[in-house]
This record gives sequence, C-alpha cells and structure tokens, in this order.
Amino acid sequence: MKRKKKTYLVLLVGALAALLAGVVEAPAQASSTATGVSRLMNPAISANALVLAQTSADDDAPAANGIDLQEAEMQFTSVVDPFWTANMILSFHRPEDGGDGLATEIEEASLTSRQMPAGLELKLGKFYLPFGKHALLHTHQWAFTHAPVAVQAFLGEMHDVGAELTTSLPLPWYADLKVYGTDGQVEGLFAAEDRDLAWGAHWTNLWDVSDNATLELGGSALTGPLALGRQQYIYGVDLTYKWTSGTRNFGPAVHWTSELYLPRADGRTGSPLGLYSIVQYRFARNWWVGVGGSIAQDTPPVEGHEAVRPDPDGTVDYREGKLAVTFAPSEFSDIRAEVSYIDTDQPGFEDLRFAVQWNFTIGAHPAHLY
Amino acid sequence: MRNGTIALLCAALLVGAVATPGAAAAKKLNVVATLTDLASIARSVGGDDVQVTALCPGTRDPHYLPAKPSLARKMSKADMLVYDGLELEIGWLPQLIRKARNPRIRPGAPGDVDCSRVITNLLEVPPATVDRSEGDLHPMGNPHYTLDPRNAEPIARLLADRMADLDPDHAEAYHRRAEAFVQTIEQHLPRWWEETAALRAHHVLIYHKHWSYLVNWLGLDKVGEIENRPGIAPSPRHVHEMIRKSRRLGDVVVICATWDDVDQVKEIARRIGAPLAVLPGHTGGVKEADTYVHFIDTICRRLAEAAAQLPE
Repeated sequence: MKRKKKTYLVLLVGALAALLAGVVEAPAQASSTATGVSRLMNPAISANALVLAQTSADDDAPAANGIDLQEAEMQFTSVVDPFWTANMILSFHRPEDGGDGLATEIEEASLTSRQMPAGLELKLGKFYLPFGKHALLHTHQWAFTHAPVAVQAFLGEMHDVGAELTTSLPLPWYADLKVYGTDGQVEGLFAAEDRDLAWGAHWTNLWDVSDNATLELGGSALTGPLALGRQQYIYGVDLTYKWTSGTRNFGPAVHWTSELYLPRADGRTGSPLGLYSIVQYRFARNWWVGVGGSIAQDTPPVEGHEAVRPDPDGTVDYREGKLAVTFAPSEFSDIRAEVSYIDTDQPGFEDLRFAVQWNFTIGAHPAHLY
Repeated sequence: MRNGTIALLCAALLVGAVATPGAAAAKKLNVVATLTDLASIARSVGGDDVQVTALCPGTRDPHYLPAKPSLARKMSKADMLVYDGLELEIGWLPQLIRKARNPRIRPGAPGDVDCSRVITNLLEVPPATVDRSEGDLHPMGNPHYTLDPRNAEPIARLLADRMADLDPDHAEAYHRRAEAFVQTIEQHLPRWWEETAALRAHHVLIYHKHWSYLVNWLGLDKVGEIENRPGIAPSPRHVHEMIRKSRRLGDVVVICATWDDVDQVKEIARRIGAPLAVLPGHTGGVKEADTYVHFIDTICRRLAEAAAQLPE
C-alpha cells in the first residue's frame, strides 16, 4: 500500500514537472515550426462596442426609449500572401425587425491587391460601396448616434459582394477614381434578380488649402436593379473641409462635411433629394461639439420614424437637426450626449430625442480613413 | 443598362491606361522620410543624387499627423520610404502606404527603411505584458531616439547602404557622405556636452517621454513627466505632485516641445518658480533648427540658457 502511494506521488510530481516544463516551453513553442500553430501570423484583431441610452418624445417607439447595445464590431486584418491583404468585419446588433437577440452580419470580407501594375488596386469580396463620405464610415466613426436622415432614407447600409478597381488620376492634385460592380443585393436599395448587377464609380479630389487645411470634393454615381425590370440610379456630391492646428497637440480642429444625394429610379414619384451638413469642432483637448442638419425629400417612411402618414404617393419629407457634445479621454473611448429633433411635412409628426452613447475600442484597430 | 456598363468599363480601362507609371524615369533617387530629422540625415547622405521629402513638418507631433491623401500622393512616386518605426507613425503611415499603392516602399520591399532596426540603445521597452492603462504606450520601446545625436550615426550608415543598393552608380558617394556626416556629429558631440554642463548640476521636469533620449544622452536628472501616461491628459493630482516635488528640489528646468500646451506648461513652471525651455521637437520645429545638426544645436543652446537662469 505504501509503495503504491509512493508510486502515485512520483507520478504526480512527474506530471507537475512535465506541466511546468510545458508552461516554460510555451513561449518558445508559440513561434515554433514544430507545433505548426505559430501565433506570429495571427491577424490584427480589434473589437469595438457602442452602448446607447436614449429617450424619445414618441412613447410608442420602444426602440427609441431604453438602453441597448447599439452595435459591437470585430475586425480582422492581415496580409494573406505576397499578393493580397485581407480585411474582415463582423457586426453584432439588434435585428432590423426589432426582435430579441442579436443579428450577426459580415459587413466586410475582402481581399485587396498588393502588387497591381501602374498604381492600380483591386478589391474583391464583400465591402462598403464607395459612395460619398458617410456610407464608408463605421458606426463608431459617425458624428452622431445615428446617421443623417438623408443617409438612412436613400443609402442605408451599403455593403455588397463584387469587385472594385481604384486608380490615381494624373492630375496636379490628389485625385482617385474607383469603379465597381457588385451583386446588386443592397437591402432597401436594389432588388437584383438572376444576373442583374449594380455598377458605380466614385471620384475623389483633394487639395491642400494650407499646411493644416484640406478641401475634398467628390462625385458618386451608382446604378442597380429594382423589381419589375426597373433600374435605380443615384448620384451624389460630397464636400469636406478639414482644419487642424498645425502647431499644438490637441489644439482646435474643424471638420465640415456636406453631401447631396439625387436618387432617380425608373418610375419614381416626386423629386427625391437628400442633403446633410455636419460641422464638428474641437474646443478643448478632449472635447468636441457637433452640429448637423439633414433633409430627405420624397422618400418612403424611414425606419425608426415610420409613425407618419405619407402623401398619397407613399412618400414623405423629413427635416432633422442635431447637437452633440463628445468627451474623448483617449483615442480609444468616448462618451457623447446628443439632442436631436426631426419633423415632417405632415401635421402631427415630430420627435425630440435625447441620447447618451458610450464607445470603446480594444486591440489593434487599423487607422481610420482621412 | 448595357450602355452604362460599357461606359463604366471603358472609363476603367482609360484611367488604367493613363495612370502614372511611377518614378522609374526619375534621375534622382526619390526619398520620402516620415520625420524631418530623418529627411535631414538623408539629405546629408544623398547630396545632389537624391530628392528628399518629409511627410511630417517639424512643427507637428508625429504621433498625430493627419493621414492626408496628398501625402500618399508624394509616396506614390518614392523609391525609398525612411521611417522611425517602433510604431511612432502607426496612426497614419500604414494608411498612407496602402493609399500610395507603391510596391517599391511596401514593408519588406527594397525601398522600405525602418531606422529603428539599427538603434542599439532603445529606452523604455515595456515588460512582456503591456496594456493601455498606462496610456498610448509604444510596446516596442520609446521611438524618439533621434533626440540622441549618437543615434544619427548608424542611421546615416544605414541610409548609405540602402541608397547604394537602390542606386549602385553612386554607392561610393553615399558611403563617403555618410562617413563625413558621422565625423560632423563626432566633432559636435563634445561641444554639445560642454554647452549643457551646467544643467547636469540641476534637475529637469519634462512634459512627455519625447525627451527621454535627450535626458539619457546628456546625463540629466529627471524629476518626472508632466504627461505621465502618453496621449492622456495629466490629472490635476499628478500635476500637483510634480510641482510639489520640483519645488522641494528648488533647481529645476521645465522642458516641453513647441507643440505642447505651452500656456499650461508656463503656468506649471511659474508655480514651481522654474525656468522653462520650449524646444523644437524635430528638425524644422523652429526657424534656426533647419538641419539636424542645427536642431541639436538649438536644443543645447536653449537648455544652456534655461540653466543659466537657475541660482548657482
């Protein structure tokens, strides 16, 4: 019996020693070819979450009264091989129909070329369609808790599967042209059947107004299939002015962006038009204030603001104004307080909302677009 | 629909055909450097055989340079991209490299020159585990090594080697100029050391870890940093603690960069009763710091002037 106990003890000590040796060896094995699981090749991983608390003058809009996880996002970025870089973005949010649980969505899963000739760049997969400025922003980059009503009405979440080609234009200033073709399956925008595709182009021009200021002018065009053989056409113009203090860290800064959308679908009713303008100003090291206005004319009722009686042709005009103050103690978190007002051309509909939003990012998050 | 498709395809082909073919035809080696310090060293090494552009002006903190697409345009024609590394430029350089669409300067390409690879005296390399509770730390070590002019010597030799690889016809000239630059630095080192001798008898309070290499090189006694967690505004309690500590010592020079909140630092210096040295953060940060050697000259002179205001 005693010998048996001794044997167990020896085995236990041996097992512990082996375990400890394994722990000590672990860092070396992390990059060892012998294990076949080198962590050195892991992609850059980051996560971001937005929590939104809001209250609305509309008591009958449960989604606008309460505290919720607005969206959580995970991003993976890595070089695939000498020829491609990959980017994948997963989004978790409330289902569009307002049901329980969380909907999961692949917002982006794309390959970008690394070795195209003549300065060309090719992107393949699912990606954000390059239409204007706002459509390319992730939720945590927005100036306000929600996108301008013009964006919600005419663009929505614009990601689709296809190919995009980018080139620089030989002009004396920075000029980029993107042309793309996609599957034509953008919810609320297209309704592709069979082999119908959506096509678009975006032309960006940027000038250095001074060492510290830039002016950007862009033009976008996009066309895709609608039901019953009709075709959707959308044209857009965007204008952005940015200025930052060139001599002082965290000094004053101004970002001013405006966009105009002109949807021209076959068989449309009225003259649909979307417009927004947003100004953000950094008035202290960690503090920003933002003011924005937006209109969406002759649009079907917008999600979240459906409690409206449309015109006989089924459309409605929205007008919206917003004011937000943001405190960003670091590059990786911020908290925002916002008041927004929206009304329509219909009597009896208006909404006043107050919101507070928390936002944080962890991990190796890629730098944002300029 | 078909007409629209054909028109878009034609447009794509047309822009592809007229796209700029790069700088293959350029006579001079086209060098783009992220920092003005590196650009100045590259000019000393490259002479008339290179054309050098700096992305971040010397008046700006390179942590926070806006990634303007116009900068990517400059990089699109570069044969060589010279950068500081250690993630100093991580907030904007990867984005610009991608936008430049220039395979000659991509990571791993012959034109990719990370100067941190030749720095042997890296400071403040964090322990194995690091998180952002300490602020926006650089996980590979303090990247502000150009503030120690001894580090300019291996950088010059690295640039000569890489320029010679890309432009073998002028290899001998690159190496000759690099050695001349090293000699210039060697000649100035004793003078800079002597000029700042008075300060070694006192103490310095620095705004940010930007000055760690300068403090280390000159053998200065550091009280602490005002911005103790990089990228995070210092708490009133920490600022008060730095003021209290400095007052107790009695002979402190406060150091900040031109891009810091100078009014705030002036107030801190006033409450301590200490002289303030506002220094250029990089070459070109002030008018007289127009080359790397003049940049170090300016720093040493301003430190000496501040030290002269302290009691004997």
